[in-house]
Amino acid sequence: MQRTRRSLLAAVALLMASGVTLGSSGITSPAWAQAGKTLTIAQGFDPQTLWPNGTTASDNLNAGGAIVESLLWTNPVTGKPEGMLAEKWEQISPTAIKLTLRRNVKFSNGEPLNADAVVQSFKVFMDPKQAPAYANYAAALDRVEKLDDMTVTVHTKHPYPPFELMLTQVYVIPPAYWASVGLDGYGQKPIGTGPFKLLEWVKDNRLVMERNPDYWGKGPTGVDRVIWRPVPDDTARVAGFVTGEYDFATNIPISAIDEINNQPDRKVVEIPSYRIFQLVQSSLEEHDSPLKNKRVRQALNFAVDKKAIIDSLFAGRAFALNGQLLRKEQLGYDPSLHDYPYDPAKAKALLSEAGYPNGFEIVFKFPSGRYAQDREVSEAIAGMLAKVGVRTKMTSLEPGEFLRQLRARELWPLAYLGLAPLDDPDFQLAQYRSTWRYSYIRNAELDALIDAGAQEIDREKRAAIYRKAAQLMHEEAPVVFLFGGYDFYGVSNKLDGIVPRGDQRFFLQNVTLKP
Amino acid sequence: MGTYVTRRLILTLPVLAGILVITFLLTRLSGDPTDLMLPPNATDEARAAFRMVNGLDQPLWTQFIRFAGNALVGDFGASLRFGQSAMSLVLERLPATAELAAATMALALLFGIPAGVMAAVWRGTATDVSIRLVTLLGQAVPSFFLGVVGIIVFAVWLRWLPTGGRGSFGQLILPAATLAFNLVALIARVTRSCMLDVLKQDYVRTARAKGVWESKIIWFHALRNAFIPVLTVIGLQVGLLLGGVVVTETIFSWPGVGRLAIQAIYARDFPVVQAVVFVFATIFVAVNLIVDLLYAILDPRISYR
Repeated sequence: MQRTRRSLLAAVALLMASGVTLGSSGITSPAWAQAGKTLTIAQGFDPQTLWPNGTTASDNLNAGGAIVESLLWTNPVTGKPEGMLAEKWEQISPTAIKLTLRRNVKFSNGEPLNADAVVQSFKVFMDPKQAPAYANYAAALDRVEKLDDMTVTVHTKHPYPPFELMLTQVYVIPPAYWASVGLDGYGQKPIGTGPFKLLEWVKDNRLVMERNPDYWGKGPTGVDRVIWRPVPDDTARVAGFVTGEYDFATNIPISAIDEINNQPDRKVVEIPSYRIFQLVQSSLEEHDSPLKNKRVRQALNFAVDKKAIIDSLFAGRAFALNGQLLRKEQLGYDPSLHDYPYDPAKAKALLSEAGYPNGFEIVFKFPSGRYAQDREVSEAIAGMLAKVGVRTKMTSLEPGEFLRQLRARELWPLAYLGLAPLDDPDFQLAQYRSTWRYSYIRNAELDALIDAGAQEIDREKRAAIYRKAAQLMHEEAPVVFLFGGYDFYGVSNKLDGIVPRGDQRFFLQNVTLKP
Repeated sequence: MGTYVTRRLILTLPVLAGILVITFLLTRLSGDPTDLMLPPNATDEARAAFRMVNGLDQPLWTQFIRFAGNALVGDFGASLRFGQSAMSLVLERLPATAELAAATMALALLFGIPAGVMAAVWRGTATDVSIRLVTLLGQAVPSFFLGVVGIIVFAVWLRWLPTGGRGSFGQLILPAATLAFNLVALIARVTRSCMLDVLKQDYVRTARAKGVWESKIIWFHALRNAFIPVLTVIGLQVGLLLGGVVVTETIFSWPGVGRLAIQAIYARDFPVVQAVVFVFATIFVAVNLIVDLLYAILDPRISYR
């Protein structure tokens, strides 16, 4: 027995020794994490494609946009469209825009940036088979003509006010290279005019880019290399950011903000998002529910305490909508409108007037895992509605099924929804036009205003149209106006010049990494 | 033996075919990928074009015939998200999964078998009780919790290890240890109970009476005979590990098959889901076959004719 014990002890000692060796040799960090002048960015997911017009997902666009550039871009600092590969743009008729391209710009394979490249890029952009995610913006385009080597004219089918925004969506590709590798090949190995070039892409692990020495602009300072790391788990992303593995991290959860802000060398940047949260209240004829009655829809607006949700679930980090869908910064925002105040007594009175003195029961659909705290927000709302007698039957939907029901107009009678269209009032309001696939309101007056706004070139007149639409929607209450969200980014103090935008886009063109 | 292996291999074919049919139908039941691949405000024309390009506009049986025909030659189609061959996406990630599985299994065997043997030999002592307590904990604590605790302690507090990713030895330690903790418990418990059975056998008493060294009795005579059930457990676990471990791979940003599979399922990327399931099923069947063949090597009384 003695012998047994000794041999077992020896075995244990051996095991422990091997364990210790394992632990100590693992302390080394990967070589690329220690390389100087490397900017490391953690996002939630690995891009599917680096061709920005391949998808509208921000993880793809942020990485792809460091290599492939667009004609214009909306500068997050000014909120205005500025030139990128187009130096000048002017409206030469109500349906034509002349673009002058930036001179002496080359793609990183040597192809020149010229009118041919731009015409070819538009051709791809306008083909719903190749760029289906952008067909909504391309729908207004008629044709694109080369005027001379550095000038093109873009013709729209009708006067199109958001044409500058549309031009920010067109990414320019080198035609010869595109022809040789095709759409899918280009998405995996893109060649562009941007500040970085693709060096290595190990899927789901790291995407490495190196500085483009021939970049036409000022370009990044102190950065020779960018490493994009996909880190799907929030806790792991925050941990990696806190320990210095990443200089920049997206999608920081609210619960981690204080922990990060307590670090001496890092902080959280809070950006108001373009995503607008609302409760869909279908008033469509075919959707039989108490919500067909305007007073009921207004009652629900009075019954939900928006401020309590913002303060308790979002720690104050969300913004009130003021009873409309456009944000304060947008054209057509109406400062005379205000949020429906929280007034359960008024809500009950309206319900009585509408013939529901004892309230009613209603199905309330919400996605689980699509938006930050979607379940918690929905549960809070259900509790508030119960207080005025509206008893909800909560139906949680998997995100894919949620989107299917939205699109198929099955997301009725009541549903929690967040929509984040591009930053133009038409893209926001067109979602409520009665013919639109997931509009849950049918109102001829609203349709007429949406159509008028979509074609009015004069800014003042256009703003007036949208203010009128906002007033109409406030009164008709096709939704419960909830709040706008925030996005949170972890930023190292060494980093300057990355300003995220409300659509979760950020640009590396002017980034500075201090030693 | 040769006939046995051939028969088993032939039986594998209907199993794999059945799995392909079930996967095809289940993925189609889950809904239309167009809703997830395109933004909600995509035009009807764009949606129709997407469905046409990816063959989703065809009747289900047409889709199936096309799928089955291509699958016969190993072509599972192109991923709806990446546009690349679905099978190559899976094979690209297989080395990462295999690396994690090998490291996990090595750790689990290194600790699990000695722990099980020690607990059996010193049954009822403090050592036995502590090993059982630890193994109970190992089986009870879920890996998502253990993984997060591991990151907080070893990456954030102690700064010994990186939080995730793949590329260096250090990045392998936390995910492998997280997975192994649970596996050590399982292997130790099975080893302990089998050893307890075997140690009571007559041939062990005979060996002792003959004066054979106790350590030789335990590690050679007893363990070898106790090993068959342990091998079964190991085989099943290797199969599971090679199929990808979704939670651990996600927490540690490990670029393996499990993460690819879960993202493909969320996005309804049918071709990738089908390719993953096919590879997983093939591995599982192969590992089971290998384990069955190993039985015969361990125990000469077992033979396959």
